[in-house]
Amino acid sequence: MAYSKPIPIPSEESKPFWEATKRGELLLQHCRDCGAYRFPPNFLCTECSSTSFDWKCVSGRGKVYSYVVFHRAYHPAFAADLPYAVACIELEEGPRLMSNVVGIGPEQLRCDMPVEVVFEEINSDISLPKFRPAAVKS
Amino acid sequence: MTAFLKDKYAIVGIGQSRIGKVPELSDYGLQLTAVKNALDDAGLKKQDIDGLITHSHLLGAVRVHHQRVAERLGINTDFGLSVSSGGATSGLMVQVAIAAIEAGFCTTVLCLHGDKGRTRRPEDVHETAGGNAPEYGMFSATAQHALGATRHMHDYGTTHDQLGAIAVAFRKHASLNPGAQIRDPITLEDYHRSRWVVWPFHLLDCCLVSDGAAALIVTSAERARNLRQPPVYVMGMGRANNSRGWIYGDHMIELAAKESGAKAFRMAGVTPADIDTAQIYDCYTYIVLATLEDYGFCKKGEGGPYVEGGRLELGGSLPTNTSGGMLSEGYVEGMLQIVEAARQLRAQAGPRQVPEAELAIVSGNGGNTVCHSTLILRR
Repeated sequence: MAYSKPIPIPSEESKPFWEATKRGELLLQHCRDCGAYRFPPNFLCTECSSTSFDWKCVSGRGKVYSYVVFHRAYHPAFAADLPYAVACIELEEGPRLMSNVVGIGPEQLRCDMPVEVVFEEINSDISLPKFRPAAVKS
Repeated sequence: MTAFLKDKYAIVGIGQSRIGKVPELSDYGLQLTAVKNALDDAGLKKQDIDGLITHSHLLGAVRVHHQRVAERLGINTDFGLSVSSGGATSGLMVQVAIAAIEAGFCTTVLCLHGDKGRTRRPEDVHETAGGNAPEYGMFSATAQHALGATRHMHDYGTTHDQLGAIAVAFRKHASLNPGAQIRDPITLEDYHRSRWVVWPFHLLDCCLVSDGAAALIVTSAERARNLRQPPVYVMGMGRANNSRGWIYGDHMIELAAKESGAKAFRMAGVTPADIDTAQIYDCYTYIVLATLEDYGFCKKGEGGPYVEGGRLELGGSLPTNTSGGMLSEGYVEGMLQIVEAARQLRAQAGPRQVPEAELAIVSGNGGNTVCHSTLILRR
């Protein structure tokens, strides 16, 4: 069945991010001047306004800052998924992003739950970073 | 600082259209109804209006909206401006009106907002829904506000019974308001039984979608004394923006209301204990709870217990959204909050009158918890 959910369109700023997710890497912009990580991709540093940055591969570890559970489909392609959760993930490096937590049901989600990134290939151009409960360290 | 503006300006006219389903009127029909009613209320002619500030947010595509209104009303103005700061706009229009009069741009300003939110035809232009992560199924202002509620529940143990108490109180008030869109009283059980939209929000946590418009007229206290209605003085004004976004830092649980409210209280020289009635921007129940915390009616995290036990109901210690609010009276993006505050302070609220109401606080909150405005009004 054809993929009918919205697909991100990489912008001038976000292209390296989406190129990396295809390779299974989570890249964030890292300011060369103040050291802050930022997301979403942006022309300048939201802390110090520097335009000088590197793309750095980050741990992919973080925690669920908050989450919600959709019981209504705002887009027809999500109707079959109801009820489904969307989470705000806080990465270890600081930035937050919206995503889904896979492998568990919405009722098992909790704030501050540790998670780690996984990548879901949706077509040859785009792989979405999603998250799963972090493996317990032995 | 704005302290020198305290009590120097007043709201002298209020007007609204019918609220709810009004299919027979266009956007401009609703807006002009509100304008005419505000002029009649103030005892002013349209030629007395020399400043016009309008908000056409939901119409989106309408540029220079104030001009479209002025040509339909048939007036020239010295000062005209179309603005948007989301749900903070209503209170900000009053503040910008005062700034414009103080600067000498004009003397009497009409502030207007309203549109056909409910019976708009599909072919009518409408802004597309927001949401910054549709690839993950993240859509709607409801979900963005709901994220804050989830975190508030996690951090402070806030419960659905507490959010429900807000919905129940405002519906009780709407039952006393013949103009309210929905007037059937609800119980906490009804609240719990209403369907989930985006958990943790039930349908009854969410504001209505309405046709409707409202207008306000602002002028100097000096001119206000010769007009038809008792002046409603603008005692305090505040505004602030958590512009780094709703996803950043503590912004989901600590709104720009904190800074905006502090400015308004400082200017007015009063404290939350002095306020007789609150008219709070209630896009969602949770935002009422968070706003009351941020304004200092209780400590951060204590909003849940604070709103229980009928405190926000008529007869309680802080009667809030006495006309039913956007949860039950209708959604005109915060304008009806100012209209109701004025009615209460003029002692014209009929069966829902707060006895001896002297001071009211009004909040506006927009841009998904980012933009905020505060007015403290007195009779």
